[in-house]
Amino acid sequence: MSKRPLHALSALAGIAVPGRFGKPDGEPSVMIGELSGLGLATVASRQGQDAALKSAVLQAYGVQLPESSRVAQGSAVSFIGYGPGQWLAVSESLAHEALAGDLSQRLAGLASISDQSGGRTVLRVSGPRARDVLAKGLPVDLDPRAFPLGSAAASVIGHMGVQLWQVDDTRTYDIAVFRSLSQSFWRWLTASAAEFGYEVSGQN
Amino acid sequence: MRIRCPYCGERALEEFTYRGDATVTRPGSLEPQATGAWVDYVYLRDNPDGHHREHWHHSAGCHAWLVVTRDMRTHEILAVEFARKEP
Repeated sequence: MSKRPLHALSALAGIAVPGRFGKPDGEPSVMIGELSGLGLATVASRQGQDAALKSAVLQAYGVQLPESSRVAQGSAVSFIGYGPGQWLAVSESLAHEALAGDLSQRLAGLASISDQSGGRTVLRVSGPRARDVLAKGLPVDLDPRAFPLGSAAASVIGHMGVQLWQVDDTRTYDIAVFRSLSQSFWRWLTASAAEFGYEVSGQN
Repeated sequence: MRIRCPYCGERALEEFTYRGDATVTRPGSLEPQATGAWVDYVYLRDNPDGHHREHWHHSAGCHAWLVVTRDMRTHEILAVEFARKEP
């Protein structure tokens, strides 16, 4: 099989249109962009394999698996803890199902791997008012005193299940939602950001 | 009311689902003579004036089952632990 049988298409194609929206005057204070083409996979530790899995991940990806809801960023693959013994792996270089294939090979017998690349939409929300936008629907305090750099959370935004993690210390957050909720989430996000003025960037 | 999940940290009540009494034990037997034990397990509940242990599910968070010790008079949360000892 030399060709991909299905063409990868963003759930927000034609919806997340680049441009400036909401409050028309002043600088846009919220930036929104979709991270498309990522490799996404869940990693669930097999019973009694926690220690072996941690050392295998450290050796293969140079990342210390977080034991709580935090993100550990690696050069190729980042791991976000979203439950005891469970992580979401995210990669730009290992795109689409290549990540799940790589994880399955390197962590065979230690963890159960499920490809999620087509199952989630990941949005990057940043800017000086990003926290004000998310606070309208997220019951987690994103103030740096409560949510320092490297924090992650599995929670809900407007009753939609999300995984959220902080990318850097400049109020930049990546949010993964289930693909089938992408349009509902997009409506919530853009309605919440409209009062501040927001800019949608092109595909990252 | 806020619950301090041992995995996620302190979170709002809307992320959790209440399951029920964590002090009752499911009877091991399905024989007719165990009917009394099953009636106790399914229907009969204490209503203590004070501390109570109950199961909560962090359904909108890490999906862990928790045992929460709560004061029935004040709703003060006294302890939160994993229902499963080795998560």
